[in-house]
Amino acid sequence: MLDGIGTVARLGLAAVWIVSGAIKAADLNQAYIAVQAYDLLPKGSVSLVAAAVPFLELALGVLLVVGLGTRLVAVLSVVVLIGFIIAISQAWARGLTIDCGCFGGGGQVAAGQTAYPEEIARDIGFLVLAGWLIVRPRSLLSMDSWLTRRPAVVGED
Amino acid sequence: MGGAERNAKKRRQELAAQRAVAAARKKKSDRNKIIITAAVVVVIAAAVVAGVLITNSQKNEAAGVQIPVKTVSANLETKRDGATVLVGKDTAKVTLDVYEDFLCPACRQFEDAYAGQIEKKIEDGTVRVRYHMLTLLNDRSDPPGYSLDSANAALLAADAGKFAAFHASLFAAQPEEGARGYDKNQLIKLGQDVGITSPDFANGVTNGTYNQIIEEAYQKVSTDPALQQDFGNGQRGFGTPTLAVNGKIVDTQDPKWLDTLVSQAG
Repeated sequence: MLDGIGTVARLGLAAVWIVSGAIKAADLNQAYIAVQAYDLLPKGSVSLVAAAVPFLELALGVLLVVGLGTRLVAVLSVVVLIGFIIAISQAWARGLTIDCGCFGGGGQVAAGQTAYPEEIARDIGFLVLAGWLIVRPRSLLSMDSWLTRRPAVVGED
Repeated sequence: MGGAERNAKKRRQELAAQRAVAAARKKKSDRNKIIITAAVVVVIAAAVVAGVLITNSQKNEAAGVQIPVKTVSANLETKRDGATVLVGKDTAKVTLDVYEDFLCPACRQFEDAYAGQIEKKIEDGTVRVRYHMLTLLNDRSDPPGYSLDSANAALLAADAGKFAAFHASLFAAQPEEGARGYDKNQLIKLGQDVGITSPDFANGVTNGTYNQIIEEAYQKVSTDPALQQDFGNGQRGFGTPTLAVNGKIVDTQDPKWLDTLVSQAG
């Protein structure tokens, strides 16, 4: 039962990362505009972050699909999600009017079209999935359970 | 050796064997953990490195590319005035202010749609255009700065009498927002290709001769209350392209706006 919930959390978080990463990777110019709009990073590193984030998300997603290092990947997911929440919050606090670019898009939008509370709530939802996997990383059909199954030792009772 | 003693020895041996099995199992499990952690780190590092390489190769497609020349039919009267360029006769009854950014896609659409009509009106002497090349999207190229470099180069092209072709060529081959813009060498090459021979052009592009007056002009224009547009949702702000005559914004929703302007002025 608990393994079942773990499996749903793992594959759910995997889907989030793969979808968000794939949309960003498909339009890397847009990803640059999205990162630039946060007005948070020094000029030189915007390019690097915009290039790295989509593929980092894809990697986290693929690792979760196969279930390799689930707890570690969940911890990394939390780190990335908290980073996103901080970035969105500072934009909100400073009165910037941007789209988070979480699932593609991004950049400046009209003041009436921001959706900061929704964006943060959504990320908190993803944090819950990751949190479950940190507390209890075991799930069905994962490489972890295959790699760490108990070896048959002679004389074991 | 008594029976009790033998039993105790046997128990000790069993305990030792159990410990050994547990230690072996723990060792194996620790080793697996290390392997898994290493695999995760390798996968993520490989993805990030691949991402940076893919992004760079995509963005650098525009690097070193020769900007194609777009020829303009007529030899239009052109002069630079501060950070603006006036195209057309002084005697024209309408002076149309055009506020643009070379990186702005909507400006390109405007140019695609109306450059021909505007050129005709300039040629027949009824309209004169004052081009304001601005830096609204200066941070939107990677690396930033294309808006400013291209605006500066366009002013220098005006000094050399080749503004129209230079301006039309840059819009026709507009780089994408978020991508790499054309660098100074590419702008210099385009200048040479449209027929600029003076070394002042290349030097001016390299040194950013007009950068300061362009940025000052942008500050002034973008905060001019008369040039704020309605973006809907009660939002007002400055955007490009903006068109104005005598300091009043021209609405280009009507496809015949240019004819209307001329007839109203007539």
